Amino acid sequence: MAEHSGGGRGDSAGDKAREEFFSEAQEIVDGLSRDLLVLDEVCRRGGSDAELVNDVFRAVHTLKGLSGLFGAAMMSGLSHELENLLDDLRLGRIELTPQVLDLLFQSVELYGRILGAAKGDGPEPAAEVKALLAALGQVAQQKGGGGGSVVAQYELDPGLLGVLTEYEEHRLRTNLQAGLSLYRMRVQFQLATIDSALDDLKARTRPHGEIITFLPTGEGGDAESVELEILVASREGLSVLGEAVAGPNLTIEEVRRRDAAPPAAKESIRPPRPALSDMAPAPLPSFAPPPGFDVPQTIETDDYTEGARTSRPPPPMSPTGLPSVQSFPPPPPPSAPPNNAGGPQAQRERELTLRSVTQTVRVDIRKLDHLMNIVGELAIVRSAVSRLTERVRLHETLVSGRAEAAEGGWSRAGDAGPWRGSAGPRDGELRELVTSLTRLHRSFDRHLTQMQNGILEVRMVPLGQVFDKLARIVRQISREHDKQVNLVVTGAETEIDKLIVEELSDPLMHMIRNAIDHGIEDRDERMRVQKPAVGTIALNAFQKGNHVVIEVEDDGKGMDPPVILAAAMRRGLVTEAEAREMSAKDVLALVFQPGFTTREEATSLSGRGVGMDIVKTNIAKLGGVVDITSEVGIGTKMTITLPITLAIISVLIVEVAGRTFCMPLASVEEAIVFDDSMVRTFEGREVMTQRGATLPIARLAKVFQLEGHRAGVWFNEDAKTPTPPAVSARPLGRPKSYVVIATVAGRRVGFVVDRLVGQQDIVIKALGRSLKKVRGFAGATELGDQRVGLVLDAAALIAEVLANAPGDSARPAPVGASGEIAVVRRSDDAVGGGAAGTPARGGFA
Amino acid sequence: MKGLARRIEGRSALQRADEIGNRAEYLAFMLGNEAYAIEIGNIVEILKPLPITEIPRADPDVVGVMSVRGRLVAVLDLKRRFRLARTFTMDRKSRILLVNAVEEEIGLLVDEVLQVYRLSEAEIEPPTVLGTEQPLHVVGIGRPQAGAVLMLLDLAPLFEE
Repeated sequence: MAEHSGGGRGDSAGDKAREEFFSEAQEIVDGLSRDLLVLDEVCRRGGSDAELVNDVFRAVHTLKGLSGLFGAAMMSGLSHELENLLDDLRLGRIELTPQVLDLLFQSVELYGRILGAAKGDGPEPAAEVKALLAALGQVAQQKGGGGGSVVAQYELDPGLLGVLTEYEEHRLRTNLQAGLSLYRMRVQFQLATIDSALDDLKARTRPHGEIITFLPTGEGGDAESVELEILVASREGLSVLGEAVAGPNLTIEEVRRRDAAPPAAKESIRPPRPALSDMAPAPLPSFAPPPGFDVPQTIETDDYTEGARTSRPPPPMSPTGLPSVQSFPPPPPPSAPPNNAGGPQAQRERELTLRSVTQTVRVDIRKLDHLMNIVGELAIVRSAVSRLTERVRLHETLVSGRAEAAEGGWSRAGDAGPWRGSAGPRDGELRELVTSLTRLHRSFDRHLTQMQNGILEVRMVPLGQVFDKLARIVRQISREHDKQVNLVVTGAETEIDKLIVEELSDPLMHMIRNAIDHGIEDRDERMRVQKPAVGTIALNAFQKGNHVVIEVEDDGKGMDPPVILAAAMRRGLVTEAEAREMSAKDVLALVFQPGFTTREEATSLSGRGVGMDIVKTNIAKLGGVVDITSEVGIGTKMTITLPITLAIISVLIVEVAGRTFCMPLASVEEAIVFDDSMVRTFEGREVMTQRGATLPIARLAKVFQLEGHRAGVWFNEDAKTPTPPAVSARPLGRPKSYVVIATVAGRRVGFVVDRLVGQQDIVIKALGRSLKKVRGFAGATELGDQRVGLVLDAAALIAEVLANAPGDSARPAPVGASGEIAVVRRSDDAVGGGAAGTPARGGFA
Repeated sequence: MKGLARRIEGRSALQRADEIGNRAEYLAFMLGNEAYAIEIGNIVEILKPLPITEIPRADPDVVGVMSVRGRLVAVLDLKRRFRLARTFTMDRKSRILLVNAVEEEIGLLVDEVLQVYRLSEAEIEPPTVLGTEQPLHVVGIGRPQAGAVLMLLDLAPLFEE
């Protein structure tokens, strides 16, 4: 757009870099949040995960660097303090308590708000950051040094202890405190293959223990090889570990506790390694680690801590009883080329990590929208080409027919004429052209479809993105509210349009808040009703046809219709008379009314009576619906049904009073021939019986008040001006019309239309801001020949029809009446099922 | 308050005229028998009538929605907006002015596009000459030397509701 192009070039380059910074920082913060959740989980089970703490540390470190680069002072300051805290954690100077975790979670929250503020979304949380920094400072003061006493009990070379990094020392201490045995390996490596051989050894050690450190011994090596001493902590005995790592040039022994060590054991230890003073000045000149082989970083793998976790049972030992050394892959022979046993695998792993960095591209969703628009235009070109092809084919048939006739005539006349010679080849040429054109068109068609699908696929992201955020919220809210809540997530991998995911986080957050605040009972109450003390909120996502369904289910106290009704009446949302006529389902739906709350006073969690209203509006904006089912004492389930994408949808094109409308096929159950005799009136509203069930019907012409206007209404009747395109050319008073049965989330309405035109895939576009308030339309699309077709918002129309007496706006509709129909409909919840048995199915299938 | 702010902006139309070498360019068009003009910078494009699809239940001054090279654009009928006519008309002379509005482009249906006037400060009268209470979108009266009288419009208030 024109207004975006303003500003200098330098500005836009800077903006771009800033944007990259934002999205990268956001990604890191998201990752941070995920790691913290896992950490929280591990912590609650009484364990610890050194590598996760490391990950968190690294993430914060990266954030610090990034924010420093972009002069984001607040973020950089916060990161700095956090980094210190995490460093202390990592080194065991402080313990990972729930309080510390709280601080970490709080920081994630603040990062989010700082980023938001930088993008002009709300004020900078200066006060909160200050408070957090103070809290971090307090924690830092509480740190106490871990005792080295445990380590001192082992027969370890003080020289070795002297060169351990603080982190390595911490890991050593932790492992020994956990009661693991300590082993010392000496391995001879060929310099040429040390990289892969070491990886291989690490891989074989990992299932059995944790490598604390490895250091060159400075002996036993020559120009081509080097001897490393490797310290391993393991839960297993010497024989098991020995088997696992067995190979030539490798010796392994247990490092014993001083008090328990029999004198003989001391003898078994190989010649003591030289004192540190001997090695330090000569750090093996020939030992040049190849890039990627980081000697000082002792620990860099994912699950090496397996054996160190106190809470977990030791990992299953493979062939414990069998002393078959052969079953283990032998380590590489010293002279083997690099691509041996562990080599390729290690290399592949490295490539994989590289790939994940280089093979993803961050793309602004607007660019995808733009591409989508272009594809939409191409689709229009396609239909034009299709028409053209058809015309050429018709022409060819005509020409060849004429030629044949002419030929026949001439031959009868016995006069060849000038045509005779040329008619044949020309005819052939045209036919060939037609064939090529048809083939070309088909190929174009196929590729365009592929492209459409491709772009759609790019827009799809897993729902896990938003679920991660929710997990954090659950943790925060449940702590604030002193309720223990377990969040069980299934289907996080379900994919949905990126735009939808963005819009989902607010509604889902409100739903979860409500579930915790109003749904889950407090501990005592749960005990009293014999429920597990820890409440459960289930977040389930799955795909259902063209829709994605998300369920938020809690095992709380459920919603009590009388309570809701009383609250609604207190707030003047319903009158007593209306209340008497409402069905249970209608009552539950009251919670979506703006201003509804059962609370007398707003808490920090909820009670302001805006939450569920937002949920409904936001979900409706996405073309989805929310449904509630609840049982008192058992729990509440809210179900969100959403379209899978906002961009391309299949529609049934229908005609009503000469206008063309598109009904999203995802909401169409079936279309059947309509006859006025099928209609019965029921309390002023029209219904028909379909497969034994009552179906409310609505005449679209009446809903849209189209009757009496001239068809099309592109131009006014009085104007002596160009007539509208021939939309209205068909004879009026056509005897036949159709009912399109639309279903959204189990609510069904039959819409009466004049004609079914056909099915088409369309690129749906939002109506602009000025038309947003017009109800009943999800958007519009181009139907070719520059005409715009409005896309109906099935969910909104169904809700409207069920809420009001159709086409009779003068008569105020009893609010309760819709409930009765809702109850009648209960018996039929088949969506599209049994459609084959319908006598007259509409011609769009 | 808001009215006052508008007045000030209206005066700034004069100042703007000052800045651009004492002249600002306005596109003049007809609505019924009256001549109006808007600053040319607001206009993205002038279009000949395209098929416009009516939108049921939209405001009465909304003609409908049309597609301009793949983009959906709502079309407003200024005559109905200004209560100059009850129904809209289109003929050979009708044009749609594509203008920048809030977050979108909007088409304005006008009866005829006249010409571009370069108005100097001296040729613009403040709206108060018509009376003290003028609608917000009227920012002045243009009196080019050719003798025409143009109602100068500010579009922003039209789209703000």
